[in-house]
Amino acid sequence: MKKALTLALALTVGTAAAQSAFVWPAAWTAEQNTANKRGGELRLSAISDFKTMNPFTSSEADSIPDRMETGAGLFTQDPRNDEFIPYMAAAPAVVSNNNKRFVVKIRQGMKFSDGQAITADDWVTTWKIHTDDKVGSNSRDSFFLVGKPITVKKIDNYTLQFDFPQPSASALSILSYAPWPDHVFGKAYREGGADAIKKMWGLSTPASQIVSPGMWVVESYRAGERTVFKKNNNWGDWNKDSRGQELPYLSNLSVRIVADANASLAAFLAGQIDIVGMRNADDLAQTKRAIDNGSLKAFLKPNVSPQATSQWITFNWNKASDPAKQKLFRDVRFRRAMSHIANRQAMVQLALGGLGSETYFSVYPIFKNQIEAGLAAGAPQYKYDLAQASKLLAQIGYTKKNAQGYLVDKSGKVLEFNLSTNAGNTVREQLGRIFADEAKKVGVKVNFTPIDFNTLVGQLTSKGENRPFDAILLGLSGGSNIWSFGSNVVPCGGNLHSYNNPTDGKCATSQEQLMTKLYYQGDAELNDAKRRAIGGQLMKAEGELQPVIYLVGGNFHVAFNERLGGEFAANMMDAYYGQRFQALTFIK
Amino acid sequence: MIPFLLRRLVQSIPTLFLASILIFFVIQLAPGDFLTPAKLNPNISPESLAALERNFGLDRHPIEQYFLWMKNMLFNFDLGLSFSYQQPVLDVIKPRIANSMYLVLLYTVLFYAIAIPIGVFGAVRQNSLGDKTINVILYFLLGFPSFFLALIVIYFILQVRTATGWDIPINGMTSNGYDSMTPVQKFLDIVKHLAIPAIILAVSDAAGLTRVIRGQMLEVMRSDYIRTARAKGVSERTAIWKHTFRNAILPIVANIGGLLPSAVAGAGFIEVVFAYPGMTPMILDAINAQDLYLIAGFTVITTVLLVIGNALSDILLAVVDPRIKVG
Repeated sequence: MKKALTLALALTVGTAAAQSAFVWPAAWTAEQNTANKRGGELRLSAISDFKTMNPFTSSEADSIPDRMETGAGLFTQDPRNDEFIPYMAAAPAVVSNNNKRFVVKIRQGMKFSDGQAITADDWVTTWKIHTDDKVGSNSRDSFFLVGKPITVKKIDNYTLQFDFPQPSASALSILSYAPWPDHVFGKAYREGGADAIKKMWGLSTPASQIVSPGMWVVESYRAGERTVFKKNNNWGDWNKDSRGQELPYLSNLSVRIVADANASLAAFLAGQIDIVGMRNADDLAQTKRAIDNGSLKAFLKPNVSPQATSQWITFNWNKASDPAKQKLFRDVRFRRAMSHIANRQAMVQLALGGLGSETYFSVYPIFKNQIEAGLAAGAPQYKYDLAQASKLLAQIGYTKKNAQGYLVDKSGKVLEFNLSTNAGNTVREQLGRIFADEAKKVGVKVNFTPIDFNTLVGQLTSKGENRPFDAILLGLSGGSNIWSFGSNVVPCGGNLHSYNNPTDGKCATSQEQLMTKLYYQGDAELNDAKRRAIGGQLMKAEGELQPVIYLVGGNFHVAFNERLGGEFAANMMDAYYGQRFQALTFIK
Repeated sequence: MIPFLLRRLVQSIPTLFLASILIFFVIQLAPGDFLTPAKLNPNISPESLAALERNFGLDRHPIEQYFLWMKNMLFNFDLGLSFSYQQPVLDVIKPRIANSMYLVLLYTVLFYAIAIPIGVFGAVRQNSLGDKTINVILYFLLGFPSFFLALIVIYFILQVRTATGWDIPINGMTSNGYDSMTPVQKFLDIVKHLAIPAIILAVSDAAGLTRVIRGQMLEVMRSDYIRTARAKGVSERTAIWKHTFRNAILPIVANIGGLLPSAVAGAGFIEVVFAYPGMTPMILDAINAQDLYLIAGFTVITTVLLVIGNALSDILLAVVDPRIKVG
């Protein structure tokens, strides 16, 4: 409550001080830039080369358009309480028509980096181009709900109206896409359609032609080497710190392309870049050593939070060619036994070097509020317990063991299945081996083989009554803390509803039906607490059904060079929000 | 000369045709395609994936894809669109080829500058202590893969750096702040970055050519006309460089044909080790991402250059050795 008051106060003071400017709350940094230091360059690295400057065809995280989108969007999430606050919007959205219509007033006086005003047309054009399937935008799906389109209309130059086909908890997040200039893209689109859009803003486009709505704009690009961004001077007109100074403090951001994660760690240790991701205990140890022997001055904090990822084992329910296996995989007792076999603690210790968390649900452990709601609703966790696993397997009819120590059925057939993961992912290979070793202890034969990634994904996402795998160990990432369930994962018929994906996409069990229903119900619930409660029920159904055995996830560690200031307070850092806002970052 | 070039042109057509078929279908043999990783993304719907497949032409039969690609290449000189860059293949690889060329050209100059004198020295002072020492060192270096040698060198550079604070660049092609440098500073900055990888490559490759030159020189030096020349009283320098060397460099000239494609193809793993923005890192990325037309387009370009380079070699051989006739 105190935090909310501070925020409200900060916002009011801000509005009074500078009309139509967004004031970044002082509480969003641990360290105020009282020395008024400005200028300097934030130096980052990326592992894969930049592919395009075009925001509509860009498909990877960390792209050039992604960087330029920093600080653009109607609403933004407050890292202290996950709430959406008006950002490019001048005020909270006016919601009507049973939570399906959102009318948003846009802040006036905002400008693109080329000096043109940002108006309602920019949002409408951006939406139009993103939803044209000939453009092939990665964001296309975010403008659809259950296959039905969301529409965007201009009421006047500074008012937008969004119409949703049904209510959605993620509405404010969906509305918060970055507006790209109508005077650049709209013109091209009206004249040449999707093809004209695809040809725009390639890597050979001169930086001077690039226009940005956000904090950064491209200054130079060198193929395979480095991209340097400079601050968009017009952005500071409507972004101020709590003392009324224009943001960002930094004048440049550079992203250097490095060969791999080892090279970026080396560059960090040599003091050439400011921030690097810590992957594992080894990275942490190297950084710690460099700090201790004085060759590097850096901030290091391990185990800040879990990562927003999952690793799991899924069993194939569509095995018409092998009815015995299909029956086994569809037996909930079998899957619960498999969950009891998974020695998650050993997995954290051995595969993740002790730096990880056990997971039992599709919701990543970082989304604490949702996990708590699930546990409160009675979602079960089938923890490591070999005796319990044996008991469950005996119930299915596996009581006898053969000479090799494997369980056999009445006809003498060994209880075995194939488990594959993608070759080359050493963590997953270790997880699979730990699982297979533990399974052997209770007499289950797991034939664990790492195979080619593309083949594996082909198997996992295949559809039909007879799909070509027994069990797959893989991981997913991506998702939000608003509604932390995957739209392709939970509802029947989704392409990542990996355990049961028949031709007609129908559910095989009543729990799946319940989960599908709860998924859409929760997605449509705007009230946070009520939505989390629905999520809790969903987790309960999912936990009882155990269609997918969730294993472990890695932890998020923070490391940055001490020349940087303006990071979050330690309790605000996590894998979802990261360690800082670039707008409030400064060079000491 | 012209009939020779025409004949070469006609001969190259089936070669290129077969090469293009091989390139295209070998890539197709790999399981999955560019969109496979996207299927694991919980936020991309099957409808969008289908639309992307349509846009990229991945829903068509490989043979149909091949003919479309061929047609565009022959009639529009269009090598197709890179999936991951969403740009024409040529636009994507042009800057990379330029970067690779800088490195390979410097390497080539250093390579010959090291190999030729040492080879000649080895022949003139055959089996001397110097000859033997150089051979041992060069063979030792030849035994290491160049990328491994590079890693060792990087290790030592890092030691020097921490000890002296001397800023020797070990990756990339330019320093921070390159854009604000004067043209002279820019040139020096790039040379500074190129020097170490180019030297490593040149030194580790030099052993091979040194041996060839040494062997050739020895053979020529024993021939009658050199003895005659010496008997006529030409100076030692003329005997070695004008009479012997001129006749010993035929294998070098024959190898020049390979220079052209290799200049474009880049310096291999050394580019990866030094995070040098040349062709190799990009092609490896493209293979990883199964970026079909980028891989195919690049391979076609290098094949064409190989054909042109070999024709050039043949012409040069005729220039150097009057006994060889082109035509």
